[in-house]
Amino acid sequence: MAADFGRTELTVSESSRRVRSNVAQESAVSQDNIISYRNTILQNGTAPGGGIASHKDPMPLMRKLEILSDAAKYDVSCSSSGVERKGDGTGIGNTSKAGICHSFSADGRCISLLKILFTNECIFDCKYCINRRSNDVPRASFTPDEICELTIQFYRRNYIEGLFLSSGILGSPSDTMELIYEAVYKLRTVYRFQGYIHVKAIPGADPELVRRLGLLADRMSVNLELPTAEGLKTLAPNKHRKNILAPMRQIQQGITQNKNEIAVYRHAPSFVPAGQSTQMIIGATPESDYQIMMVAESLYQKFELKRVYYSAFVSVNEDKDLPALPGGPPLLREHRLYQADWLLRFYGFEAGELLSEAKPNFNVLLDPKADWALRHLEQFPVEINRADYRTILRVPGIGVKSAQRIIRARRSGNLNFEDLKKIGVTLKRALYFITCNGKMMYPTKVEEDYITRNLIGEKERLPFDRDGMTYRQLSLFDDDQEFLWKQAISS
Amino acid sequence: MEEYYLICEDSLEGIFTGIYDAYLKKKPHEQVHLCVGEEENYRLFAVYEECRPDETKAVKVARTIGRKLGTEAYMSICRALASPEADKAEAVYKTVVAGLSMQSSRGCGLHTVFAPARGQVMGNLKNPFVHRVFELARFTANEAHYHVEFLRFRELENGILYAPIGPKNNVITFIVPHFADRLPLENFVIHDTLREIYALHPAGGEWYLVSGGQESWNNGLTGDNATGDSLTDDRFNFSQEEKKYSELFTHFFHTIAIKERRNDQLQRNMLPLRYRKYMTEFQGK
Repeated sequence: MAADFGRTELTVSESSRRVRSNVAQESAVSQDNIISYRNTILQNGTAPGGGIASHKDPMPLMRKLEILSDAAKYDVSCSSSGVERKGDGTGIGNTSKAGICHSFSADGRCISLLKILFTNECIFDCKYCINRRSNDVPRASFTPDEICELTIQFYRRNYIEGLFLSSGILGSPSDTMELIYEAVYKLRTVYRFQGYIHVKAIPGADPELVRRLGLLADRMSVNLELPTAEGLKTLAPNKHRKNILAPMRQIQQGITQNKNEIAVYRHAPSFVPAGQSTQMIIGATPESDYQIMMVAESLYQKFELKRVYYSAFVSVNEDKDLPALPGGPPLLREHRLYQADWLLRFYGFEAGELLSEAKPNFNVLLDPKADWALRHLEQFPVEINRADYRTILRVPGIGVKSAQRIIRARRSGNLNFEDLKKIGVTLKRALYFITCNGKMMYPTKVEEDYITRNLIGEKERLPFDRDGMTYRQLSLFDDDQEFLWKQAISS
Repeated sequence: MEEYYLICEDSLEGIFTGIYDAYLKKKPHEQVHLCVGEEENYRLFAVYEECRPDETKAVKVARTIGRKLGTEAYMSICRALASPEADKAEAVYKTVVAGLSMQSSRGCGLHTVFAPARGQVMGNLKNPFVHRVFELARFTANEAHYHVEFLRFRELENGILYAPIGPKNNVITFIVPHFADRLPLENFVIHDTLREIYALHPAGGEWYLVSGGQESWNNGLTGDNATGDSLTDDRFNFSQEEKKYSELFTHFFHTIAIKERRNDQLQRNMLPLRYRKYMTEFQGK
């Protein structure tokens, strides 16, 4: 590996490997050429003149950053959480357990890490991906030094929390991993960067590379891409479920083994201390919400993932195998999946409780927790001053923080509805499901139709309502309301 | 019934001294009140007293809070006192009273099993004063976190990183340790433009606060006595690199957004407008 550090001048020209290019000589480039091209660089230290590296001027950094951040933006994961590490005073950086977002882009998503691809050249042809081989898009690659400089300079100005490095497949998965490794190694050792690093493990790469990279990175992720193996087969012909799960399993085992090592040797180097995550695309293939939740649940249980990300399918390519989405990306569906994901991770729910074969999709009008509560009214109302934590956590309108505060506050005396309001409980949703000292807030019927109608009457605050409008206009007429709740009950 | 009002200086030290003096009165606590700064509407039949900050008294109160009520309560109180709200002194005073009247955790007998110990005072959100301290402390903590997220350094010609902020609460002491740990080898300055407080961190050294004085803050860092002017924005000379990287980041900021998902409302919820005037990526709009 050390021998590789001579190769820092790797700059593959824009469009050097466009297969569907109008320039005949470029379209003839094969994989072998790329490898020999890289070898030439290795030996000479400079790019060979003519041939495929026919570019005159090196691409300006601004343009590279534009291309390679534009290509990376469909990766959802941006969290910088999971590991608390103080700086050692000899370099730059620390990490915070809760993670720190540094900005929010125009789509409202957080910018925490410098999210870039090493290169957007790719030998794969996944139908949903903007960087697929058959797309005619400008191509660029960073050098490890450029990545290090950008990271450090952004970091010291407090623009970012660290680096998220992914890549298209250049040459082979192992070659790509080596390039990523080189950049990350340099950043950690030469620049003494101690901030957060999230790297992609490329499926099919040498396990030894994954192991070494894991010792430098805080978080690693392998993208599941699509919830089921069939979906993967249709849309990503070069990828195989088996290849994706293998590095995931390897990282999981590495983390477990590393925990044991650290228990014995306190200063043993840590392996992927912030855990691993994955993401899947929602709405490109016909899976139901139930299937997706079952997959997520088994990833959490069997692979001990920290996070599963759901990414509403954004149509970037025209392809007969891809669905047309005239209404834009399925944001509401994505939102419901995240709500359910939180219920799995923090509220003690199981996927089987929320959905079933008979009811495979989430209710459009109600969040999954309220939906569950309405189907289990026999468990309500809950007495706030008596019920245990897990029961309180299942009440709609009460979140993790409110539940914890309730448990703590009721040790000093009985709580009433006024106190709950101060604690932060959303009473307009919770009031149908709770009692304080044996009394409900108002005389209400504990009856599915009645509560459903009232809950739907409350405008749910969805994160993607543009300009404060809901997906439903308020109406003066009652039949509209009536129709909505009937629909909600039947679904 | 006579009511006493103690007027304290608006500082941690001032209010802790006020608490000490309030206890000295040996009156029922309902009759003693703390307030900060000038009282506008004086009440009838109330005694107003000025309360001079005293370091020894303040240290005693701080130590008692830390020892008897625990670190959580102490930190909440410090955060609450960073607030600009006028009722903070009264809320903190009554919270301390509530905390000290609770069972000490060493007690024995049936009572201690059920009643929460002193360290739990911040959990008692039923108590309006405790709730007020909780609210104020939460606001300060949130704002401090926002500054950890959204503060932006700009590099001056002499290599010093400079960050102006304009927080509602006095958060500077809560955020500097984070940056001192993160950037140990940088010279940096965080400038609270509303309170004219500067936090200075020399490379490889300990950070410290300078208040009021607009001069010589960068002399302390560079040993350079040439400059001594006031810090107005147009007088800054930013480095060449600064222009390059701020442009790169602004560009990155725009390309990373997915246009099919554009959502200004969500962006505004997550990143309130008032922080944007100090942020690199929102300049030049």
